[in-house]
Amino acid sequence: MIGNVITWLNDPAHWRDTRLMTGIPSQLEAHIRYCAIALAIAVVIALPIGLLLGHTRKGTWLVTLANAVRALPTVGVLVLLVVLISPHFTGRTDTGYLIPTEIVLILLAIPPILSNTVAGVQNVEPAVRDAAVGMGMTGSEVLRKVELPCSLPLIFSGFRSATLQVIATATIASYVPLNGLGRFIYDGLAQQDFPQMIGGGVLVAALALVADLLLGLVQRYVVSPGISGRFSKKVVAAAGPITADVVQAEVATV
Amino acid sequence: MSGKFLAFGAAVVAASFALAACGSDSSKTVAGSTGGTTSTSASSGGGATIASKLLLGGPPEFKTRVDGVPGLEKNYGVVFSGYKVLDTGGPVTVGALKNGQVDAADLFTTDPAIAANNFVILDDPKSNFAAQNVLPLINKAKATDGVKKILNGVSAKLTTDGLGELLTKVQNDKKDPDAVAKQWLVDQGLNTTGTEASGVKLTVGSANFPESVILAEIYAEALKAQGASISTKLNIGSREKYIPGLKDGSIDLIPEYSGTILQYLDPKATATSPDDVYTALQSAVPSNLTVLDKSAAQDSDAIVVTKATADKYGLKSIADLAKTQ
Repeated sequence: MIGNVITWLNDPAHWRDTRLMTGIPSQLEAHIRYCAIALAIAVVIALPIGLLLGHTRKGTWLVTLANAVRALPTVGVLVLLVVLISPHFTGRTDTGYLIPTEIVLILLAIPPILSNTVAGVQNVEPAVRDAAVGMGMTGSEVLRKVELPCSLPLIFSGFRSATLQVIATATIASYVPLNGLGRFIYDGLAQQDFPQMIGGGVLVAALALVADLLLGLVQRYVVSPGISGRFSKKVVAAAGPITADVVQAEVATV
Repeated sequence: MSGKFLAFGAAVVAASFALAACGSDSSKTVAGSTGGTTSTSASSGGGATIASKLLLGGPPEFKTRVDGVPGLEKNYGVVFSGYKVLDTGGPVTVGALKNGQVDAADLFTTDPAIAANNFVILDDPKSNFAAQNVLPLINKAKATDGVKKILNGVSAKLTTDGLGELLTKVQNDKKDPDAVAKQWLVDQGLNTTGTEASGVKLTVGSANFPESVILAEIYAEALKAQGASISTKLNIGSREKYIPGLKDGSIDLIPEYSGTILQYLDPKATATSPDDVYTALQSAVPSNLTVLDKSAAQDSDAIVVTKATADKYGLKSIADLAKTQ
């Protein structure tokens, strides 16, 4: 079976678009497109709200609400929305299927981003925040220059888990007639072509891993080394004695 | 603060524009990816056929099934511009055909949605789709002359349109299958009481979909009126579940479809026309079972188009799709 799956993945015919078959690159592109749209909109919605809630420490019930939305059965919501929305679009267009799919994926992506952002901002050390205020920063400056950079690791981890979920769940786009890697899974099942089905699953898993790897890389460069603790060994070694001296000095003055 | 909200609002608006743009964009990619070779296939055919302008939709397996896209190409030379995967004769397919996401679709001939939406079923003169005549599959020991006469009488009155109407009553109007069956027998004048089947004990079964249930109820009620003592086991499930029951005698009678039951009993069967299938089926049934007369009612796959498409291209049969315009 594994051999068949590898054969399926290696078959050049599956990497080309033909009249009846959409090839792997096109389906991959469609899959990434569905995910990117959903994640972009989810960030635009969840990040500002999360920062605001974390900063003001108000309205955390919104986070609870967003987390409750996670319990919605995705396929059920999708079918419901397709039934409601798709009749409004006529002609050779997929918009009537794309909008319900994106709504479902956005609903899935918002909770991890929102709750991690709120938690990240709320857990910024009070001393750091007080210092910022003490330096004369306004509320929005504290948020932008202190709280946001300090909470970036948590925000990133929220975004990364949202990305994984969305990439895995975007396969349901093929349940309503859209493209994406789910096409191979659904079609393989219906045609009893199991190498195709498993091949599709392998591609989804590979995409999720690559996406997480890339985001990890981005995180490495975006998050300040002071936050992530990723000093070079040299710096850490140099810093050690200094802090010790400072502590000794403080003790001496006391 | 207001500036930030303004920026947030602008971002949301921009995102929704992006979504809308991607929506129209994706439709282009789909048309492009599936219909990308339209021009080549059309030009190689020596002139654009009607089918080359149309997009076909249906279940995933129809793309590869022997009587699916390959069958249409082999039997009729019909080559569509592309194939869009929808569902198996369900609401997605009906919606996609109605709203123009596809131009032709694979539906089942008794689907109430066909009449409700004025869809046109294209004739299949070359029997690309195997015949699916409704017929009773019955235990030989229970098939007395009286029982045969009653069930053949029922089969003589069943038509594809009639079956569609029965299905509409159950599926759309949510009526009880038993009441619908009784009413149908009255309408057909088959409700006369008598003693043709008295003394026969029969267990009538059905598969787990509405049409099979209605047919089983019709058989049961017709036999009951003629004095048979009937018990029913409805909604049993798929063939894998009820055929063993028929073999071991726990079920005596079940409504079947000639093409699929033949395929089930003899996977290598190649017959497609109603008579060929019926003949092949008679020798394929297990020794303790037999099939009675086939009815004219068929519930098979069919290529369906909208009224507007049929009128525009003058379509009556699948063969018309291969004509050049």
